[in-house]
Amino acid sequence: MPLGGRSSSLSEIDDAIACVVDGTTVGIGGAVTAGHPMALVRALARRGVRDLTVVAPTGGIEVDLLIAAGCVSRIVGSYVGIEAIAGVGPVYRSAIESGRVEVVDLDEAHCVAGLRAAGQGLPFLPWRGGVGTAFPQLNPTLIEFDDPVRGEPLLAIPAIELDVALIYAEVSDCYGNAQPVGTGHMDALLGSAAKQVVIQVDRVVSTEEIRRNPEKTIYWPGSKVVKAPFGTHPYSNGWMTSDEQHLVDFVAAAKGGDETLSEYLRVHVLEPEDNDAYLETVGIRRISSLLI
Amino acid sequence: MEKPSINELFAVLLARDFHAEDRTIMVGANMPMARAAAVMANVTTHPDARISIGLGVQGLGDGGDPPAVHPFLFDPRTMAAEALMFQGRVFDDMHSPDVFFVGGLQVDQRGNLNLFGIPDGEGGWKMRGPGSIALATMSAYCAGYYIVMPSHSTRTFVERVALISALGDATERARLKLPGGGIRMLLSPLGVFDFNDAGDMRLRSLHQGVTLEEVQEATGFELDVPDQVPVTPGPTDEEMQLLRERVDVYGTLA
Repeated sequence: MPLGGRSSSLSEIDDAIACVVDGTTVGIGGAVTAGHPMALVRALARRGVRDLTVVAPTGGIEVDLLIAAGCVSRIVGSYVGIEAIAGVGPVYRSAIESGRVEVVDLDEAHCVAGLRAAGQGLPFLPWRGGVGTAFPQLNPTLIEFDDPVRGEPLLAIPAIELDVALIYAEVSDCYGNAQPVGTGHMDALLGSAAKQVVIQVDRVVSTEEIRRNPEKTIYWPGSKVVKAPFGTHPYSNGWMTSDEQHLVDFVAAAKGGDETLSEYLRVHVLEPEDNDAYLETVGIRRISSLLI
Repeated sequence: MEKPSINELFAVLLARDFHAEDRTIMVGANMPMARAAAVMANVTTHPDARISIGLGVQGLGDGGDPPAVHPFLFDPRTMAAEALMFQGRVFDDMHSPDVFFVGGLQVDQRGNLNLFGIPDGEGGWKMRGPGSIALATMSAYCAGYYIVMPSHSTRTFVERVALISALGDATERARLKLPGGGIRMLLSPLGVFDFNDAGDMRLRSLHQGVTLEEVQEATGFELDVPDQVPVTPGPTDEEMQLLRERVDVYGTLA
């Protein structure tokens, strides 16, 4: 028998996201102001792919950035906003109101059920929340039915099948054994619903380090691991808070009109050639002030 | 002591209203007043409750240090907790949440809430909101929920919401066999409200300095107004001290 030799999952950022092409359905991890794989999102926006369906279960400015860069035709999810800083994602709102982007509304729990159905290879999973609401009217893929066991009205939540999942984890080894910090949001569900997973990490560690906490490991065959330290900025990871001022500035730029939004994109997304260059636009003092 | 802000008043009114048997209090995004209320109750009247705030689950009844009310719900500092809130598992435990809080763009006479937005009638949107997050699910299941409306006008208090995110209508909820207990109380910058036996919105009290006429003018339907409408009892010095000195130490609600 030939000797073994394990393949590396490590990838450069642009190689890793090459699997996202025009028309791809891409799920993006994180929740509200935490744990979004922003370095991957910025690289995607920079590349200028078109016509994406973006599945963002509880989204933030990763959705706004991709819409602003012209990459998106459809958004699937339960929320896009920045809490008190912007009750609604500003670019998301204007793109939907102008009809440039279509929205497919789901409840947060529908996102869980739909992603789980995809991972389980099922056409749908049932759910009760949403019965008696506008959900089936707004999103006709949600089908009301009477359950065959107890005869109660339920909704069929169709499988959310993803071409690609982009998620963040704090660490991974070079074989794709990734370990999220904390709860990992819906990221593991996104990974299991996707044909291809790309994982942004702060650090690449040895497999020995991974073995110390094997219960934390998430893994999918063939996943790509991209090192991008502090790459969730302006959102939090496990040891860095969200950058409230940066988010305030982004919202001001987005609400200021095409010119100020284009300027934000130019400075923070389009011109920095990689994650390090992006971090230079933020500045070491700002980054340092966010560490907890 | 400086006059309470409206969010501080909301926090105190919510903290006072929890039921003795409430064991699990969950708070969603963009509801810092509810985060403060949950912590206040947990360190005073509800020592056995578990409160889910951001990424962490806390039980503060043994004198544990309350988590600060951070501007963002999903702050990594909320992970200093006795358990974590897993977004992918939280909906596997639907018998457990007793209390939840919701806000919205519009609320109607029957207690239905809209966080989707206002459709233009031609398949598009006149005004698009953020989406409904988990309103439909949590309002269907939890033992009781609170509505906190950040503004009170004929645009936000309407006869019939354009789209229903959370079904409040008690008659419809019974017909659809929703397991949860429905709306407990509604707070607005003008007053405190609940729903009468017919399921219509009723004025319970007016905040200090607010007149009945003001509320009626700002409401797009006929409110049920009892003969006697008291003034909302404001926060006591003790409540304000607890809120400002132990709970909302960053002044997020100020």
